[in-house]
Amino acid sequence: MVDFSAPLPEFTTEGGDAFKASDKERPGKDVYALIHHPTVPMRNEIYRSLKARPVANMVNPVDRGLMTIEQGGRRQRLVTIFERPAGGALFGPDGRVNPRVNTNRLRQSVVLSALKAIAALHKRGFTHRAILPTNMYFVSNDSEEIHLGECYSSPPGYKVPFALESLEVAVAHETARGNGDAACDFYQLGAALQSLYFGEQLWRGRDRDSMLMARVNQGSFWALGGGRDIPGALGTLVRGLMADETEERWAAEDVLDWFEGVGKPKRTSMRAWSMNRPTNFKGVAYVDRRLLADAFARDPREASNFLKSLDFPSWVQLSFRDEILSERLENVLRVTSDSSNLGGVRPDDYKMVTRVCLFIHPTGPVHYKGYSLMLDGLPSMIADAFARDDRDLLGVIHEILDERFLTSLTEICGVKHPKFLAHVRDVRPFIAHSTSKQLGRGMERVLYGMNTILPCISQRFSNVWIGSVKQMMRALDRLAASGGGKNILLDRHVAAFCAAHGTDLEREFNKLAAAQNDPSRFNSLSAEFFGLLQRRFKLESLPNLTEKLVEGLAPAVKSLKNRKRRERVNQLLDKVKKGGDISKLTSEVNMVRIQAEDAREFSQARNALMKLEKDRVLLSRKIQPTDPDARAAGLRGSRWVAFGAMVVVGFLTFFPGG
Amino acid sequence: MNKLPMKMRRRRPQGEMNGFFPLLFVGLLMVSLFSWQVAALFVVGLLPTMVLALTGKGAHKAQKLQCVGFSNITGILPFAMQLWDRPRDLSVVVLDPINLVAMLGSAAIGYALLYVGPMIAAQVLQVMAQDKLKQLTQQRQALLELWGPEVLGGDESDAPEPAWMQGRRSSQD
Repeated sequence: MVDFSAPLPEFTTEGGDAFKASDKERPGKDVYALIHHPTVPMRNEIYRSLKARPVANMVNPVDRGLMTIEQGGRRQRLVTIFERPAGGALFGPDGRVNPRVNTNRLRQSVVLSALKAIAALHKRGFTHRAILPTNMYFVSNDSEEIHLGECYSSPPGYKVPFALESLEVAVAHETARGNGDAACDFYQLGAALQSLYFGEQLWRGRDRDSMLMARVNQGSFWALGGGRDIPGALGTLVRGLMADETEERWAAEDVLDWFEGVGKPKRTSMRAWSMNRPTNFKGVAYVDRRLLADAFARDPREASNFLKSLDFPSWVQLSFRDEILSERLENVLRVTSDSSNLGGVRPDDYKMVTRVCLFIHPTGPVHYKGYSLMLDGLPSMIADAFARDDRDLLGVIHEILDERFLTSLTEICGVKHPKFLAHVRDVRPFIAHSTSKQLGRGMERVLYGMNTILPCISQRFSNVWIGSVKQMMRALDRLAASGGGKNILLDRHVAAFCAAHGTDLEREFNKLAAAQNDPSRFNSLSAEFFGLLQRRFKLESLPNLTEKLVEGLAPAVKSLKNRKRRERVNQLLDKVKKGGDISKLTSEVNMVRIQAEDAREFSQARNALMKLEKDRVLLSRKIQPTDPDARAAGLRGSRWVAFGAMVVVGFLTFFPGG
Repeated sequence: MNKLPMKMRRRRPQGEMNGFFPLLFVGLLMVSLFSWQVAALFVVGLLPTMVLALTGKGAHKAQKLQCVGFSNITGILPFAMQLWDRPRDLSVVVLDPINLVAMLGSAAIGYALLYVGPMIAAQVLQVMAQDKLKQLTQQRQALLELWGPEVLGGDESDAPEPAWMQGRRSSQD
């Protein structure tokens, strides 16, 4: 049972709002409920794994299901029940650190508890990506152990503060940081420990650009701590965990070694991304490749003019001496000098900037038109764009989903970012959908195709949670009962959701789209479509939807010209309406076929009637002996009369007696 | 050498090919083998038919010729039988005005048939047309009952245009 009057802000995440809950079956067990936001995709695979086999030192899900809540109107929402650590958050939502947190606890129990949870998750092939000081909880008021908060309600790294993300993914947009890797989790653990040690929200009030500059130039540990060191063993650990180079960052073994006191301190270096010669861009001299790529990304118009103004091969040779700019790579980068000097930015110039940015920072995100995204973070970014109805961002994503563009980016990354090719492979099936304007395709299809767990976010279903075609059909049945759901299949979200969750439905949507200006045909096709779904998903009887569809077919039936057929179809529809079986509706009353048959026969009847009228006119006039027909028939008759007379007279002449 | 070009050559109208006159000629030749008197009687008696065969033109020429020919033969046959039995009576039979009137008059009956035939045919066809008209009216009524007045096509202009048609029209404007 969920107590909506008792919100739990410390458990609230970007993916949902937490409330106090009680387990009726196990009254003693502490649980809380998370009411999911429909626009934030979940990590369903993590839920399944944790539900099947809970991980120690982690907030595990107990169960989930749909629930009707009364907050801001009656709404159906997905609710997940989690085990509730009762000791409170290590860092409260009010910005205060838990009084029980101290250096000893951090060193002795927090690190080990977190490590257990992280290692178990990594062993299952997942990353946590939400290891924040605010997402760590003492198991109980008297326990030393901590639990890591849940990570399934939102995508990895989703809206995690810039400072608490490792540099390799932090530069990406807060909604498109991708899955990352184990190293990202260890960085987060380090950053969380640092914040807990200082007892401050180190991520708060820091400008992104200046923070990035500081992190790159001084290292994340020093930048985040504001130059303050952490003395002792804990400092060694945090510095190791917060190393900006993934090769130098501490992993599970290093932390265990440190715990046992045998770890050797690692030094961090910053040489890998340094350029051989600084580049002046917008009055700033950049020496770090990541910073230069980020500066280009923040102002792509200026970057394009800058790149066009310089001799690119020479610049590459002088600035990146360890890079080999082959002729092939130069062709792929296609940095064209602006000979016309018109100064304008062509559409391809943005892509040119993207290519150069990726060349400069191959393991970084794709920077395009001011947005930066990891390709595997694209699903959550699209979901967020749709949630905010950000058409500009959707347009940008649509332009990124270009086969040639992505291929060129893959070639630029090459061996320096081997995962990029895999990400492009994952994205490729959706490229064809993104460019299409058809019903059931387009960016909506990309949204539901990439985020299969996302419910249908159509405005029509704002109060209902539609996670599958079955749920959608049942919701439509309820909607039909209240008189809604008219032309629902013309809703691009509904169409895309059905197409993404069903198979081979494109043809049906093409037919529906073609018939959208012909209501009677559209209603017939809608009935056929829903019948197909009901049959395919083996759904129970849907009486309200069937009734609505039958009502929808009324204009189609009315438009039937043949009176007998109309009466017969009406009788059949009345019979089917009572049954609630849409598939029967389409199998017994195939309106599309009946309409076609009726139209064909009507045309035939019309032709027959025209011929009849013509014949009637001909037959109605007075027939004269001079008419060719009458004349021919008359002459023919006269000839036979003459011939008959001749035969008779001849017979009588030659056989007078007989 | 003065052959007309193909397109200028006149074609005999179809249906006008008729074997009646050559058949008659061959028949007369065969009769003359047995009795030249009977053949001579036929030559004299069939004069109206021969005139029609040579001068007749226009549509239904063959039918007209056959009609007149059969009637003419009908008038000659009794006298031909008489001459077959008594061939020496040729001059008597031929020169008898009554006989001549009978033989040539039979051809006139043939001509009369040609005049009356189409008139009767027109009357018969008129009656048949009335019956057919009744049937067609019934069929029309059945179609109207089944398909409604729309099938006449007259109310098309009154019916509202489909939305897609209106859209297209407005976009064209």
